[in-house]
Parts: sequence; C-alpha cells; structure tokens
Amino acid sequence: MLYVVLFFLMVSLLLYVILAGADFGAGIIELFSSKQNQEITKKTVYRVIGPVWEANHIWVIIMVVILWVGFPKFYNVLVVYLHIPLTLILLGITMRGVSFVFRHYDAFKDKSQIVYDWMFRVSSLLTPLFLGITFGATIYGEIIITDNYTSLSFYDLFIAPWLNVFCISVGLFFTALCAFLASTLLIGEAKSNERALFVKKARVSNVVVIILGFLVLSYGFINNISFVTDFIKNPYTIGLVTLSAILIFPLTNSIKKAKKIKSRFFAGIQVVLILLAALIVHYPNLLITSKTSLSIIATASSDKVISVLGMSLIIGGLVILPGLFHLFKSFKMIKVLER
Amino acid sequence: MNNLDAARLQMAFTLIFHIVFACIGMVMPFFMIIAHKKWLNTRNPVYLKLTKSWQKGVAIFFVTGAVSGTALSFELGLLWPEFMKHAGPIIGMPFSLEGAAFFVEAIALGFYLYGWDKISEKFHWFTGVIVGIAGVASGILVVSANGWMNAPSGFDYIDGKFLNIDPVKALLNPAWFTQALHMTLAAFTATGFAVAGVHAFQILKKRQIELHKKAFKIAITFGAIAAILQPISGDLSAKDIAKRQPVKLAAMEAHYETSTGVPLYIGGIVNTEKKEVSYKIEIPKALSFLAFGDFNAEVKGLNDFPDDVKPNVAIVHYAFQIMVGIGTLLLIIGILFFISLKKKTWWNDNKFWLLFTLLAPMGFVALEAGWIVTEVGRQPWIIHNIMKTKDAVTPMPGMVYSFYMYVVLYTILTVAVTWLMGRQIKSLNNSKIEA
Ligand code: HDD
Ligand code: HEM
Ligand code: HEM
Repeated sequence: MLYVVLFFLMVSLLLYVILAGADFGAGIIELFSSKQNQEITKKTVYRVIGPVWEANHIWVIIMVVILWVGFPKFYNVLVVYLHIPLTLILLGITMRGVSFVFRHYDAFKDKSQIVYDWMFRVSSLLTPLFLGITFGATIYGEIIITDNYTSLSFYDLFIAPWLNVFCISVGLFFTALCAFLASTLLIGEAKSNERALFVKKARVSNVVVIILGFLVLSYGFINNISFVTDFIKNPYTIGLVTLSAILIFPLTNSIKKAKKIKSRFFAGIQVVLILLAALIVHYPNLLITSKTSLSIIATASSDKVISVLGMSLIIGGLVILPGLFHLFKSFKMIKVLER
Repeated sequence: MNNLDAARLQMAFTLIFHIVFACIGMVMPFFMIIAHKKWLNTRNPVYLKLTKSWQKGVAIFFVTGAVSGTALSFELGLLWPEFMKHAGPIIGMPFSLEGAAFFVEAIALGFYLYGWDKISEKFHWFTGVIVGIAGVASGILVVSANGWMNAPSGFDYIDGKFLNIDPVKALLNPAWFTQALHMTLAAFTATGFAVAGVHAFQILKKRQIELHKKAFKIAITFGAIAAILQPISGDLSAKDIAKRQPVKLAAMEAHYETSTGVPLYIGGIVNTEKKEVSYKIEIPKALSFLAFGDFNAEVKGLNDFPDDVKPNVAIVHYAFQIMVGIGTLLLIIGILFFISLKKKTWWNDNKFWLLFTLLAPMGFVALEAGWIVTEVGRQPWIIHNIMKTKDAVTPMPGMVYSFYMYVVLYTILTVAVTWLMGRQIKSLNNSKIEA
C-alpha cells in the first residue's frame, strides 16, 4: 500500500505542476505582454482555464493531506523550517484566486479591473517562484533539524535554508517552466489570427527554461550541492535528461509550426521527464539536510494508517478521475480525443 | 503578545473568516438550484435572472472559501506542527475524504458555471445539486475532525505515544454526530437569514420587488426550518458535553459550586475573581434538566476542577448566552414567517421587511459565538485531555507578524467581497428582465 500512496503523491505532484503550473504561467505571460496582447491573453485564459482552474488547484490540497496523514514527520519538518516561504505561497494562492474571480465576475467592468489585473499577474509570478524556492530548499541541504531552537539564530534556522542563490534559481526555473507550459497550451486555444503571439511566447520561454536549467545545474555542481552531483552521476537521470534534450527538437519544431496537439504533448513530456529525473535522485530521501537525509520510508505512518489512506485514495480516484476527465473533455481541453 | 497567543489569535481569526464563506458556499447552491428548478418548471424569466445572479454570488464566495480553506489546511501544520505530527495520521481520514468531496464540488461547479447552453438542461441542473451535496458532505467531514479534538478516540495513548491507530473509529468519534448535525443546521440558519435579509432590504427600498420577493421566500424557507430545528439539536449537544466535557459545560453556564437541582442562568455579568454571576435571571433546576434530563441531577461546578484545565470562563459564558439568545429569537421569527404565509397583509408592511433586514447578520453572529464556545471551551487542550495547546505551537518565533499579515489580508478581502456583492445587486436592480 505504501507504494500506492507514493504513486498518488507523485501523480498529484505531477498534475499540480502541469495543470496549476500552466495556470500560473498564463498570468506570467500576461505580465510580460504588451498592453494590447494582454487583453487577448486575458480573454483566452478565461475561456480555457475558467472551467477547470478551481479543480487544478485541489491537487495541492490532496498533496498536503497525503503528506500529513502518510508522512507526518516529513510534513512537520517542512512546516516548521519552511514556514515563511510556505506562508508566502499561500498569500500568492489567495491573491491569485480572488483576483481571477473578481476580474471575471465583477458586475461592472470599470477601472477596478486594473487593480484585479495587476494583482492577478503579480501573484501568478510570485506563487510559482516561492513554490520553486520551497522545492529548492528541500534539496539544497541547509535545513538544520534541531530541538534546541535558541542555540541558533532566527536567520540560520528559518531564512538561510531557502533565501539563497540556489533556491532562488530553482524558483526562477520553475516560474519559466510555468510560462512555457501555459504558452504551449494557449497556442492550441487561441483564435488563428492570435496564435502567432503565443508561438512567440512559447519559443522565448523555452529558451529561458533551458538557460535557467543549465544555470541551476552548473551552480549546484560548482558548489558541490549533493543533489546536483548525484543528479549528474545517476545513469537514469542522465538517460531522462538526454531524452528530454533530444525531444527539444521536435518540440521547438512543432511550436514553430503552431501544431496544437504535438506541441502540447511534447511540452508535457518535457516536464514529466525533468520531474521524474529530479524525483529519482530525490527518492527515497524526501529531504536532504545539512547533516542527515530524511527518508520517505522512515517517516511513513503505521501500516494500518497507510492502508486506510491508500484505500481512500483509490476510491476517491475512482470517483474523481472520470468526472475530471469529462470536465476537461466537455470544455475541449483534451482535443486529442476528437481525432 | 507571545508566540502562543499570536498563533491562537491567527487560528481564530482565519477560521472565523473561513466559516462565513464556507457556509455561504455550502448553502447558497441549494437556493440556486431551487430557483433554477422553478425556472425550468415555469419558464418565468425572473427565476432565470435570479439563478444567474445567485450563481455569481456562489462563484465569488466559493473561491474566497476555497482559498481561505487552502490556507487553513497549511495553517494547521504551520501553526500547530506538534499537533499535526500526531493527529495527522489519526484524523487524516475525514480530511482525505473531504479532499475528495471538494474535488467533486469543484468539478461540478465547473460544469455548472460554464455549462449554460452547452450541456443538456437536466444534467446541468443536476451538477448544481452535486455542488450542494458535496459542500455539505465536506462541511460534515471537517466538523468530524473537530469533534475528534473534543472527543479523541481511535488510538491508544501509552507513554505519550499514539499507538494502534484506527482512522475509521477516529472519524466516527463520539462527538461527530451532534456537532455535524448542529453545524449543518447552523449553516442553513445563518445563510438563510443573511440572504433573506439582503433581499428584504431591497424590497424595503422598493427595487425589483417581484424578483426580491421570490428570492426572499426561497432563502427564508430554508433558514426558518433550520432555525426551528436548531434548539433541539443544541440540546443534544449540551447533553453530550455534560457527559464528555463537564468543565466546558460549567464554563458555559458560569457554574462554580457543584450542587444538585442547578438553576439555569440567563444573562448576567461574570466576576471571575469572586467566582459569581451578578444581574442574572435564574430558571430553577433548569440546568440539571437540560444537561441530564433530570431536575435534581448533580452538575459539577468549576471549583471542583484544577485551575490548569479551566478555560476562560467569561468568554465561554458570554458566547454561549449570545448563541442561545439569538437561537431563541430566530426560532420565534421562523415561526412568525410561517404564520406570515397565511397572513399575506404582513408582506405589504414595511416593518416586516425592516425586521428581516435587521436580522440579516444574526445567524452568523450566533454561529461564530457557538464556535467560540466549542473552541475556547476546550482550552487549554488542543486534544481534549491529551495534548495542551501550548505544547503544540510552532517553535518559530515572530508569529505576531504572520497574524498581522492575515488580519490585513482578510480585512481587505472582506471589504472587497462586500463591495462586489453590493455591485452585483446594483447591476441586478438596474437591469431589465425580458421575457
Ligand atoms: C445559527 C447558529 C446557531 C444557533 C442559533 C445555535 N447554535 Fe449552538 N452552536 C452553533 C451554532 C448555533 C455552532 C457554531 O455551529 C456550534 C459550534 C460547534 C458546533 O458543533 O456547533 C455550536 C455549538 C453548540 C454547543 C457546543 C457543542 C460542542 O462544544 O461540542 C452547544 C451546547 C450548543 N451549541 C447549544 C445550542 C443551544 C441550546 C441553542 C439554542 C437555541 C443553540 N446552540 C443555537
Ligand atoms: C466547521 C468548520 C468548517 C466548515 C463547515 C467548512 C466547510 C467548507 C466548505 C463547504 C468549503 C467549500 C468551499 C465553498 O463552498 O465555499 C470549504 C473549503 C475549504 N475548507 Fe473548509 N470548512 C471548515 C473548516 C475548515 C478547516 C479547519 C480546514 C483546514 C483544515 C478547512 C479546509 C478547507 C479547504 C482546503 C477548502 C478548499 C477546498 C476547495 O478548493 O474547494 N476547512 N470548507
Ligand atoms: C469554522 C469554524 C471554527 C471557528 C470559528 C473556530 C474558532 C476557533 C477559535 C476561536 C480558536 C482559538 C481558541 C483559543 O485558543 O482560545 C480555535 C482554535 C483551533 N481550532 Fe477552531 N474553529 C472552527 C472550526 C475548527 C475545525 C473544523 C477544526 C479542525 C478540524 C479546528 C481546529 C482548531 C485548532 C487546531 C485550533 C488551535 C488549537 C487550540 O486553540 O485549541 N477549528 N478555533
């Protein structure tokens, strides 16, 4: 059952990154567009993401619940030492959610739209940035697990683990990835005369993603961050990363030709490959700290709890997935099926 | 302010905020589908207009409820890491089921909001029904988790360790049923009266009278039925508490001396130093009867409990008085409403509409007061008789700043949502209803 639970954890993580990532990305693209293009993006985003964005974001709640039920000790470390970036993520999620609804449901469309728009764009940028920073902190290795909170300074315990060049570059990398996902998604959804806009965005963000990924790896390598050195040495990750590098060619090609489904497919594959590579190195160490690593097996709850959790997830999955699938299909998010 | 107090205030503040949106998000869909059904049956465009404007309200409240709920699910850990480390695996069951219920709700809402003219009429209406049912289910599940904090069960507590965890037993803890019943009724009472009050005000102002009367009737019918059932369910809760948490009961009644045939106090000012209540109205033997169904039963007083397990008596007592006072008031008003259905002339009287306008916030005041009774009355325990709140709080210093941030953020959100609702109503009143 432990593996069933881990599977659901991984699937929720992947889906959150891809679906909510594309959501955040939409706001980021809007932020970096000219005034006229902002209007186009805003309309397209509403049409495409409106029906599903609420559901997209529940994956993070599922993740949190799996963590606290199944891996309470790991969750405990996260919430104690990464309190500040997690709070900032929450702030971002809150601002983003409400501004999205405010701007589309306000009864009058007047000057207040400007406020909602800016709130939406800025929080779309900040949320994935801090998500990336938090993920970075779990692999950077500066978290100091201790019972003696007075012996160390506030800075060392609660700030240094995440506020550093490495974690911020991971954050930026993830942010760029979101923008890339969103622009590829929007290519397929835009009206034909507006498609060129998103093709351009997709190509630019694709380049930014590659550069930032390269920077993260080289920075980590130079500074001997064990996650990165393991990442570079592990044969599976090398395989996955090479595969994703090769697939960049068909990807950029299909983006250039504005192929809807192909570019979406390849973009999704890219993200899955990169994440899988990272997870392989990460496993079974959920958290790499300055002295030790916290293993996922060691932090798991008792067998009984895990099996009840696993059963609930299977049953929940059976109820939810068909509904979700139907929702995406009804609003034409899954175009592949119509061929 | 020390860390513990800041964390407690933050938790209280965010929950008090969330519950308002959660209740509206949970109950409004029912109003909406009734209006929708009436549109399908009668094809009266007024009902379509009403459905569509309620739907916008649902969307705005749903999202505010969802984001504040997401914040809460992190907060449980961020503020109370020691609590979640041990309680997480035990009460995970209601929370994971709740996650499933939210998912169903969000999916159904996606269909409902964006499905007009796109999916078949019947199925479209039905997705609205699912939104409502899933909302109530998730409410019941969270309350069951809270019930577990009042009546911990489903594990063995040996040498400070939580062993032999049984999540199903924890879900079905002894407090879940009474609390979930009372809470669900409270959500309907509070939202029913609030929505009815808003529409009553519009009628008072003579705007779009036909539409607002229809809206008023739908909302108040739910509210009035729930308000009439509420005291019965509250009595069940009180009997439960008398058995499980006698300190809480004593604090609710500010009852200091253990004795038999205890009177019930109504109102009064608590003097915690002298341990007495002045200016109260006494109903002889009523507390004994309410708590144990026997006029001569013994009720344990606060003096019989050690100081370190007592909650803040004044807060719990006043909050309880407010809840019961409003509960009685709404019960009477609920009955009056059903009488008014026979006496149609009342509906032409401005005083009738003024009354309901003034009552709009009352249900929510009672609801928050009730939660204060439950939560402050449980102190100093976070898990009754097992873990103290002070042992659960985060070791990270500086929680005051986090508290201030939430106060600012949620104050802005409250103002914004109120303002948006005002604009929804204004646009509704300005619009023409065409057949
Ligand atoms: C509209 C709101 C509302 C109204 C009119 C009432 N209540 Fe209530 N009450 C609640 C809303 C509420 C609540 C907010 O929903 C609580 C908090 C926890 C819970 O389960 O329900 C609650 C808790 C609560 C508790 C404590 C339960 C616990 O700690 O486990 C008792 C004993 C009562 N109520 C009793 C009553 C009585 C005797 C009422 C008679 C009129 C009454 N309530 C009206
Ligand atoms: C008695 C207390 C509570 C009730 C009745 C309640 C009920 C609800 C309801 C009905 C919703 C759906 C949103 C809506 O329709 O507006 C909601 C949202 C949410 N609540 Fe609460 N809630 C309570 C307390 C809590 C607590 C303590 C937590 C945290 C652990 C929590 C976590 C959530 C989450 C995560 C969501 C968002 C789900 C979504 O995206 O739809 N709630 N709550
Ligand atoms: C939504 C309605 C609720 C309201 C208005 C509410 C209110 C409060 C208040 C006022 C406190 C502070 C008590 C004190 O420290 O003196 C508190 C604490 C707390 N509540 Fe609730 N509560 C609600 C529902 C819930 C639910 C459903 C849960 C759990 C699933 C929950 C979990 C907690 C926890 C963990 C604390 C902090 C520990 C403590 O102070 O005991 N609450 N709540």
